[in-house]
Amino acid sequence: MQERLSFYIHRDSSLHRLNPLTKLTLVLALILVAFLSKWYWAPHLLTLFAVVPLSFVGRVSREFFWTASRLILPTATFLFVMQSLFHPIGEENIFEFYFLSATQESVLYAFRNAVRIIVMVSAFTLFLLTTHPSELMTDLTRRGLPGQFAYVIISTLQILPQMIAKSQTIISAQRSRGLDTESSALKRAGAIVPLVGPLVFGSLVEVEERAIAIEARGFTSKNKKTSLHEIPDTSFDKSLRLGLVFVVILTISLNLWLS
Amino acid sequence: MQIFTIAIAVALGILIAWAIITKRMTWLEKIKSNFNTQAWVLIPIAIAINIAVGQIVLVLRLPVYLDSIGTVLVAVLCGPWAGALTGALSNIIWGIAIDPGALPWWPVAAMIGYMAGRMAQWGFFKSWWRVVVTGFVIALTAAVVGTPIAVYLFGGITASGSSFITAYLLETGRGIWESVLSTNFIAEPVDKITTAMVAFAIILGLPKRTIGGYPKPHQVEVEGGADRSQLYIAIGVIVLLVLFAAFMLRNILGG
Repeated sequence: MQERLSFYIHRDSSLHRLNPLTKLTLVLALILVAFLSKWYWAPHLLTLFAVVPLSFVGRVSREFFWTASRLILPTATFLFVMQSLFHPIGEENIFEFYFLSATQESVLYAFRNAVRIIVMVSAFTLFLLTTHPSELMTDLTRRGLPGQFAYVIISTLQILPQMIAKSQTIISAQRSRGLDTESSALKRAGAIVPLVGPLVFGSLVEVEERAIAIEARGFTSKNKKTSLHEIPDTSFDKSLRLGLVFVVILTISLNLWLS
Repeated sequence: MQIFTIAIAVALGILIAWAIITKRMTWLEKIKSNFNTQAWVLIPIAIAINIAVGQIVLVLRLPVYLDSIGTVLVAVLCGPWAGALTGALSNIIWGIAIDPGALPWWPVAAMIGYMAGRMAQWGFFKSWWRVVVTGFVIALTAAVVGTPIAVYLFGGITASGSSFITAYLLETGRGIWESVLSTNFIAEPVDKITTAMVAFAIILGLPKRTIGGYPKPHQVEVEGGADRSQLYIAIGVIVLLVLFAAFMLRNILGG
């Protein structure tokens, strides 16, 4: 658990300056193409020639590779090993060890699957590194997303660090009173109540007060709200979004045409 | 596999029939009735509870996740649509803030919230044994919704620990759908029944005045009676459900 709650890194780059919706479209297009394309090497090439260069364009390559090596690569490696050993396709074993065996087909299958997952997770990581959550929410609210959704996401991101800090405090406090969190499974299961109880009740007490406070600030008001911070949406953004949608449609129709 | 297809088809049929029969309110009004200001304030706190409790349970090294207690709470107090929204946003925010790998599982979390809300609507959140049944139903739903995501996105084997069971089943020559579905049926019930019971314990501890401010307070009016005998009935129900699950599993694996 890192101390900073959002991945966002404040830099000045052309990727940062893109409209949040354009970046979201870009991410979804990358994922859809990686998963839908019939061509075997599509996800691999997307990683090498789209996601990695984009991290340099966004000037977040160092953070990107760090996150990738910490979060994405272990998962992808695990998936690759498990699937090449256990996916039931192919005839000839190229590797055998007691009951473990891998065929050429299953290794190829596992390799593509792992890279697809890498494309999916790393594209999202890139998006999160270059987009501030509140910027995304402001932009989406302006386009018609109900303000309540924006409230939920932004306030969760604020509450979450407090809540996690509180849970660490509760764990230490209950341990110092002699709560057993290490021995037999039954004892550890019994420890759920004294750990979860204080955390949950403590935070549920605030709900009513908060509700009154935001109600007094016009939370449910139906009037149009204005924003102090304008997010630019250039014509380049619009044409890029159109182009990406076109690419996805092209992939799907190629898929249908070839099958 | 046959039995399962039929069971799912029958369940869907009942749901659709129920939807047609009770179509007195329009859908939009029904969805809106799930949300008032207090519900909107509860949702972010519930999401934070999901994640924080998930982390606490990680410390205890128990074979459960308990990362949907908040979702179930919202679903029961506010309604199925609010529950579904909480579940979906939980995973999305988990993805934004902690681990992007949690993102693709949002339909499962949403379905957990929706199902918990529906069960509460049908009166299945008023005593211990009913809560156990709710937990079991949520688990079955989560297993069914999670299977296509695991198969299509991850090729059957995901990054979670229960994938070793899937791997074993694949190795013994079962099909991929069968293996993933049976793994989920083994792994989910313990987690979801515990989740539902913890959520119920929390509701029992909340003051009536607080509960009254949420959209659906009547769903958790706890039915009286001896608490102790209630608990025994609950344990009996758990045993029955485990036997039932074992029977179902033998059917899938045998058929």
